[in-house]
Amino acid sequence: MLQAIIGGLTLGSVYALIALGFNLTYTTTRTLNFAQGDFVSVGAFVGLGTVGVLTAALGADAVGYVWLYALAAVAAALVMGVLGLPLYLAAIRPFAGKPGMSWVVSTIGFGIVLQSAALSVWGLGARMLPAPFGDEVFRIGEAGFRSQELVVLVLAVAILGAFDVAMRRTAIGRCMRAVALNRDAAALMGIDVPRVMAMAFLASSALAGLSGVLVAPILSASLFMGVIIALKGFSAAIIGGLTNPRGCMAGGLLIGLVESLTALWSAQWREIMVFLLVILVLAMAPNGLFGRKLVEKV
Amino acid sequence: MMEASVLRPAVRRSALLRAAPALGIGAALVALALTLSNDFYLYVAFMAGVYYICASGMNVLAGYAGQKSLGQAGLFAAGAYTVALLTTRLEVPPALALAAAPLVAAAVGVLIALPSLRVKGPSLALVTLAFGLVVEKLVTEWTDLFGGAQGVYGIAPLTWGDEPFALKHWVVLVIVLGVAVHLALSHLLNGRFGRALLALQSDEIAAECAGISVYRYKTLAFVLAAALCGLGGALVAQQNQYFNSDFVTFHLSVFILLLVLLGGAGNIYGPIAGAAILTMTEVFLAQWPSVQHFIYGAMLLFALYLMPTGVAGAIARVLPRRTAALDGLEAPPLVAMERGRAEPSGGPLLEVTDVSKAFGGVVTADKVGLRLHAHRVHALIGPNGAGKSTLINILTGVISADSGTIRLAGQDITRGTAHARAARGIARTFQNLRLFGSMTVLDNVLIGAHARIGVTGREEDAVAKAKAVLDFVGLGEHAGALAGSLPYGLQRRVELARALAGDPVLLLLDEPAAGLNPRETAELGQLITRIGQLGVAVLMVEHDMGLVMRISDEIVVLDRGVVIAEGAPRDIQTNPRVIEAYLGREDNQDQEERPC
Repeated sequence: MLQAIIGGLTLGSVYALIALGFNLTYTTTRTLNFAQGDFVSVGAFVGLGTVGVLTAALGADAVGYVWLYALAAVAAALVMGVLGLPLYLAAIRPFAGKPGMSWVVSTIGFGIVLQSAALSVWGLGARMLPAPFGDEVFRIGEAGFRSQELVVLVLAVAILGAFDVAMRRTAIGRCMRAVALNRDAAALMGIDVPRVMAMAFLASSALAGLSGVLVAPILSASLFMGVIIALKGFSAAIIGGLTNPRGCMAGGLLIGLVESLTALWSAQWREIMVFLLVILVLAMAPNGLFGRKLVEKV
Repeated sequence: MMEASVLRPAVRRSALLRAAPALGIGAALVALALTLSNDFYLYVAFMAGVYYICASGMNVLAGYAGQKSLGQAGLFAAGAYTVALLTTRLEVPPALALAAAPLVAAAVGVLIALPSLRVKGPSLALVTLAFGLVVEKLVTEWTDLFGGAQGVYGIAPLTWGDEPFALKHWVVLVIVLGVAVHLALSHLLNGRFGRALLALQSDEIAAECAGISVYRYKTLAFVLAAALCGLGGALVAQQNQYFNSDFVTFHLSVFILLLVLLGGAGNIYGPIAGAAILTMTEVFLAQWPSVQHFIYGAMLLFALYLMPTGVAGAIARVLPRRTAALDGLEAPPLVAMERGRAEPSGGPLLEVTDVSKAFGGVVTADKVGLRLHAHRVHALIGPNGAGKSTLINILTGVISADSGTIRLAGQDITRGTAHARAARGIARTFQNLRLFGSMTVLDNVLIGAHARIGVTGREEDAVAKAKAVLDFVGLGEHAGALAGSLPYGLQRRVELARALAGDPVLLLLDEPAAGLNPRETAELGQLITRIGQLGVAVLMVEHDMGLVMRISDEIVVLDRGVVIAEGAPRDIQTNPRVIEAYLGREDNQDQEERPC
């Protein structure tokens, strides 16, 4: 039971990272990246590639694997973050602020392009990325869990906390919140709105890439693993309230818990349960659990 | 996106004549299919037909109603497994199973519509997406019933004589079905139904206030899309005589949405273009499997940037635009509202008693009482924040009152929905224009007559009446223009015309003169007086006191949710409580000495 809760919180914190990415882009541009899943998978492979290249260059065991893994995570976040810029330019900017949801199609298209490019580099197969602290199972009481689960949990919570502080305390965070609240007023106050939007996509894609490296040692990494992870991140964002970053984080943890507790009973049913929960929550609370109701003035 | 409404052919062409091109093309396609003997081409043609059937339903939902669903694969599966299970487990005759498939899918469509109706935008995308995934997992994991990845074998196909359908027969069948679907949908979408869907996509509140039940129409769109998607699934399952869970993927859902968006959402020809282009692309790219996905993705990425209204929309823009055929139409001038004459004389038309409304702690209506009379122009005035717009919203049903009663011609309508009230003859305009900007002026006015057409069932009458209303407000020559392209002053009048088209007994105007220049305001004043003479009870919220004093028969003054005065204009001008509400207390001397 405790094991399931830790496992759920671990996956949940990854979903929370992705949900936070959705929150960032949605509040600033009213659009979402439907290719987030491909950013997760490709992020994982960029991490794998970095580990491979560094091991080859430095010789195995030149430095501790922990440092290699850390470098891989940074590299994945950087590469995917930079890839977020062409995504913004090609798939989002033509459609931001316009009615209709053309960006659904364009971002899915970007994802397919990204995925097929990655497939031509890395191929179809699944790979294992070793965990930085080994695969031994720790025991607390009767519950056993892997070191990577703790690493993910701690790192994800730290990043979520850092984001929370950054959004409230730093100048760029204030700009983002200003654009989120009222784009026109922010522009009139001299904020470079397109730049803030591009930043949001950069941050969101970097979070996706990082999530990929974080989950890769837990699940085996394949170029198809990202879709379902991103969909759960999306679910987390929506049921938590797309406009509320803390709600998104809570939504992620909730989805993770529901998933792993369902798996105790039947592993096949966990996705069904998660998405049924999503439909149910939205039927009751259309703006998510912690979302603000948008009142339309008539 | 809404080019379709512009292309609407002349209303009075006979139905048969309108169907002729589609029937002709259908016959030609059948003839062509019968000459084909290459199984590969036949299979491509079959799949293109199936895609068209799925896409045409999706176009109703995503293109016309604006509900971008990402879960159509679930409905495709509903249809497919219906024929699979009915023919293999219960040995139902194949034709009957095929007929049952759209019905089952439609029922599932209702199920998914229920939560979907409460959410918008990304949440709607997620609800539908989650539905698709639940179905996908269900058919994969519940192997006892659905067979999972193993699938269901031995699905009984349709038969011709005693022989099972050959591929050629299937192609002919999808062509026949496709033409039938196209004709049925053109008939539906080029009239009241299509207009209502486009209206609710553009502005739900304005649509509701024009008498359209947004809830019912969205559900209908979901059901239509579900039924047609289910039919597509059933055809594929029967043609293959096999179906498994690998067909039901998120990619299929995306593909079905793509057929519509790429072809041209909200355009009756969009799905045809989408099905043709995407099928060809698939076939063409299959030669180079390695780049297939890459090019496919690039198409998605740039298609809507290059062609925001899809292929059909891009083609329509090049063709000369057909304008609404009103020129030859002679409409008798508007002299009186038909419904107005039927009302019993005497007694107030609208009687509001003790209506209260509070938002949190802010009371915007406090036991408001109001009596409005036919043939009279009433003005509702008061300082900012007095609760004037709130009261209009309560009267039209956009927001509900906490307590109190509203009676229209003696009947209690306090609990009535906005569209039901509109159907009873309460029409309104909005403080901030809420026109259906990408539709023509004529279509805007026809939407105003939505409930009325529902009663008489005659589109021709409605067009004649719309023409009369447009002449009445002086917009006759702008009937074919897009509402959003007109100058602001004229847009205001289009909104007025839309409200009048529904044959109202009560007309509520929320700041009709806002943003108008003095000459336009004077013209508006005359127009409102003439509307009163038609027998309509008018209630207008207005800040232009010159206008209010000139044309009102009666003025009601509201301050902080309370009616503080009512009476004829000259009584109101001298009423001390009104002066106090607007200017502050007289004894507050220093305020008047301020040099502002």
